[in-house]
Amino acid sequence: MPVIELNGLTKTYGGARGITDLSFTVEEGEIFGFIGPNGAGKSTTIRTMLGLIYPTGGSAKIFGKDCLQHGTEIKKEIGYLPSEVFYYDNMKVKDLLQYSASFYKKDSRKRMRELAERMELDLNKRIDDLSLGNKKKVGIVQGLLHEPRLIILDEPTSGLDPLMQQRFFELLEEENRKGATILFSSHILSEVQRLCSRVAIIKEGRLIALEKMSELKGSTYKKFKLAAKSDVDASAFGIPGVMEWKSEGGEVSFLFKGDINEILRRIAGLELENLWVEEPDLEEIFMHYYESREGAGA
Amino acid sequence: MNLFWRELKASRKSLIIWIIGIVAMVGAGMGKFASLSGSGEAMVELMADLPKPLQAVLGLNGLDISTVMGYYGMFYLYLVIMGAVHASMLGANALAKEERDKTAEFLLAKPISRMTILLTKLSSVVVQMVIFNAVMTVSSIAFAAPYADGGASAVTSDILRLMLGTLLIQLLFASVGMAIAAAGRNPKRAGAWSAGVMLLTFFLSIAIDIREGIEALRFLTPFQYFAAPDVLNEGLSAAFIVLSIGVTLAAIAVTIAAYRRRDMQV
Repeated sequence: MPVIELNGLTKTYGGARGITDLSFTVEEGEIFGFIGPNGAGKSTTIRTMLGLIYPTGGSAKIFGKDCLQHGTEIKKEIGYLPSEVFYYDNMKVKDLLQYSASFYKKDSRKRMRELAERMELDLNKRIDDLSLGNKKKVGIVQGLLHEPRLIILDEPTSGLDPLMQQRFFELLEEENRKGATILFSSHILSEVQRLCSRVAIIKEGRLIALEKMSELKGSTYKKFKLAAKSDVDASAFGIPGVMEWKSEGGEVSFLFKGDINEILRRIAGLELENLWVEEPDLEEIFMHYYESREGAGA
Repeated sequence: MNLFWRELKASRKSLIIWIIGIVAMVGAGMGKFASLSGSGEAMVELMADLPKPLQAVLGLNGLDISTVMGYYGMFYLYLVIMGAVHASMLGANALAKEERDKTAEFLLAKPISRMTILLTKLSSVVVQMVIFNAVMTVSSIAFAAPYADGGASAVTSDILRLMLGTLLIQLLFASVGMAIAAAGRNPKRAGAWSAGVMLLTFFLSIAIDIREGIEALRFLTPFQYFAAPDVLNEGLSAAFIVLSIGVTLAAIAVTIAAYRRRDMQV
């Protein structure tokens, strides 16, 4: 059963931001990456799913139930970490977490202490006095406290130091092994690369790609870099599948998706000084998506 | 219930400050009555000779300020203003603060329906206004009684009537404030709009007192519904009781309709 089902979800504001005709599903037990630059509509999508704002078209279902009609019921099983963590003034970390827990019919005191210990969070501090990273930790513990079946994370790692990020990811993987589905929104692709099994890429409110992580960064894409003894004739490489062509100071680099023999035959015709063939990181693939769609859309 | 207690806890400090303000104001105000009654007829005549607009602004309007209840009736206007300011800010902020402080993303992601949030916040607002009103009532009786010939029993029924009117006005302004917060676009300005509406009706009320011939507009401003001279002479007007409850219920209906469809601004 899909945990999240978006069906032509649309939200238009007066201005430009919003989302248009967004459809994808997240299956049970997945860690699903939701990627896009800032302002692409990631938070809008999440807020629509949570019923903070209402869609102007389409529908969203969570656990097979419509988000508008069954919002309260659905939210019993959702843990949400907002991108910017603001909490009630004058509350201690402990008070806030207890307040959060009081909305769910579960005794979470033990788990609160465990999570706080792992995230090195002082329960007796006032939230106002915490640094950005520590506030984020409060948000993380708050989101995981009631052992939700669906964890929705909006830009969860900003402000966390690498060690804490590591622990946080371990926590997420643990929850995932226990059966939780995770929607992980981010503009930092390397994070998603490690954790997620599938990604949806969104730009200007539209879904531009939905792929398995393994396919996205898998063998289909290669990054070539050549140092040639003479100038490289770009037109010789003008075959389908070549993109991101860059020529700089005698070095040429590009991404290639397609028959590897085809491209090697063309490279064989050059006098080379050096050659690198690498797996591109997601960032480069993403940039390609981003730019090519921009070209196509214009 | 968790939300209800959170609401009360969050406003605890401000409510305590208001309570201190009320007690200080009633105490100081009624204290002045001692010196006023000491000066005898002179002060009363001086007040009576003031131009009508100034009398209206001071809340005199045909009250005999040489008697305790007449003096209190003049002074009562300031208590109503305090109640109205408190109520309109409280009503608007109860809803708007979650968006203003960006905590809406916390609260609305919890398994609690908007209707429950709204009704819980409404009850917390009502409770606070009842406390506010009770403090006004008790301190009014306590500070007025020493000057009354018959002691507390001589002033209690009049003060209770006036304070019931005040409570109705408080409820009205709080519900209008909530409606503004629920329907208004900018949560940061909800408090200002709500206070603005309240001030506007207050100025209209003064205008009605000053100018002859526009009494027909009285139903537009709650400050005219239970004016002290009317209440002291004729009791609470049934028509205005019905009107104030009607406006309150209408504002709550608007609040519910708007809040259920509202796009939270976070």
